[in-house]
Amino acid sequence: MRTRASSAFPVGLYGVMLLALCALALPRSFAPIERLLLGAASMPLRAFAAVAGVPASADSGMAAAVQSLQQRLAVRVHAQVTAGGKRLLASQVSPLVCAVVAGERKGGGGLPCELRLQRCYRDLRDCLPLVTSGDALVGFLARPGEGPAARDRDTDPALVLLLNHPDAHAVAAQLQLDGGNAPLHLVVEAAAAVDPAPLRTALWDDPYRASRLQQGGLEVRSAALPAAPWACFVPDGLLLGHARVWGYTHAGATLTIGVYVDAPFDSRALSHVALWRADDELPGAPVPATGSVPAVLWPLPGGDAGRSHLTASLLRPLPDGAAVVQDGICFGTVRALAFGQGLVTSFAASRRRWALLLLPDDGEQPPQELVGEVAFQDHGTACVRLSGSSLPQKGYLFTGSNGLCCPPGLLLGRAEPDADSGLLRVVAHQLSGPSAVEVVVPAEDHL
Amino acid sequence: MSWLCWFLLVPLLFLGEGLLREVGLPPLDTAALLCLFLALFARASALPGLVLGAALGRALVDDACLPVQVLVLAVPVALLLPLRTLFFRQRWLWQGAAAAFAALAIPKLAGLCGTLFDQPSAGAELDGVRVAVAAVGLPPLLLLLRRVPPLQPFTEAMP
Repeated sequence: MRTRASSAFPVGLYGVMLLALCALALPRSFAPIERLLLGAASMPLRAFAAVAGVPASADSGMAAAVQSLQQRLAVRVHAQVTAGGKRLLASQVSPLVCAVVAGERKGGGGLPCELRLQRCYRDLRDCLPLVTSGDALVGFLARPGEGPAARDRDTDPALVLLLNHPDAHAVAAQLQLDGGNAPLHLVVEAAAAVDPAPLRTALWDDPYRASRLQQGGLEVRSAALPAAPWACFVPDGLLLGHARVWGYTHAGATLTIGVYVDAPFDSRALSHVALWRADDELPGAPVPATGSVPAVLWPLPGGDAGRSHLTASLLRPLPDGAAVVQDGICFGTVRALAFGQGLVTSFAASRRRWALLLLPDDGEQPPQELVGEVAFQDHGTACVRLSGSSLPQKGYLFTGSNGLCCPPGLLLGRAEPDADSGLLRVVAHQLSGPSAVEVVVPAEDHL
Repeated sequence: MSWLCWFLLVPLLFLGEGLLREVGLPPLDTAALLCLFLALFARASALPGLVLGAALGRALVDDACLPVQVLVLAVPVALLLPLRTLFFRQRWLWQGAAAAFAALAIPKLAGLCGTLFDQPSAGAELDGVRVAVAAVGLPPLLLLLRRVPPLQPFTEAMP
């Protein structure tokens, strides 16, 4: 009877499910417990790794080739990110290209509205507050201890407020009309999270002409307003985005009820931005944001599943989501466990969203910033579904901004577009057997 | 001792599944196997701990976090548990149907949890061959495994 009752209403089982839901609602509180439990369950693997010894680390021969690719990427990224900005900004400033490590907090249009840079505030204290990419205005550099960066210290990674951040400055702008018509002047500011675009418009100088706008896609550029103290540092001509006319369409005519502005970049994909400092300021030595710790990767049985067990020093906790790297090639990211262990999911086996950076084979083409996720893997080839962008050319695929410990510029593999399936096929480098690797960790953990 | 055995050996069962796949055997669904055992044969009072052990094992081979693994395994068990009185004896057809249900429900739930809690994983991919193998192969395999540790100490005695 008791068995029947407990079978019909298993209180303990329901309790475990409730606890699991609580853990999903408060992941940070339960993460240490999960690390400990999984670490304990993985101890037989650690014991096996200890008995099996350490794999000999031999030169794979890839390091030089990967380094050469990374240098090519860096040169072309620098050219792309600084192009346009130099022309539009005062001649006495020079660019400083910074890698983006993460996009945080949802802002206008439901897109990330804050970026964390690989450099700390101290490195950037002489820079103008403007942050650009190409000829586009990305946002404004925050100051530590102020506003959204109130809790940040001077040595923390710098925060950039994108234009769709609620605390970002509104920018005076002009909308270039076709057919030689005089431009419309307006103010561009952050939209709400539920709005269809990250930026919205306000304070048109000619609301009547604005309400007659029939087509989107027109360029919206900054307009210098020397009289406005908050606007004086935004120069003329920086691209803010493209207009999106929002309204009702009937019989070929649009009844405009609002004009939004689509940003010229995908803030989830931004991997590098340009900051600007006076020519006479000598850049100080940058404080390294990340280091690496040695580890050994043991592929788990069923190698096509792309899971591996990682053993590192017992005393060094690994960060979640850190890149696992060998000779500049990123194999995947680690889920940290207790007792110096981790579980690694290869890029091809992962189903999370990745920010990516593609270096096209065509030397004339700029690197492309992409966002995508692996739809499936086919014999070691990752088939990546891109979101919000068309298929790029063939080239080499690198990591974009996927967190502090998975920085931009780590090689993922050779990428070729597959027009039939609409997927990007990436041939990722495979590890056979146990391998000596490095795990990217925050700088303070660096030995 | 039986609990230690469960927490040590069940994760290895999941790793063994990969090993079998490597040698070319049909894809065996360890998660469905454990679901079937927990729903039809395990002591109801031990279910919370047994589910946790199984979830730990699945978390070794799947990218989603431990709470998602708990939900993915516990929900089919909770659904099948009230039907235990029907399935308790060796009724192969029913057991096969329950195994197929578990093999279908686990990836579907993994996909749902992945979407809801931003925990995507490759375990959410449904494989028809896997479901068929589960329906045909899991009941006889479970008949054998119920007689040896780590499953044997937690098998409910027949009335």
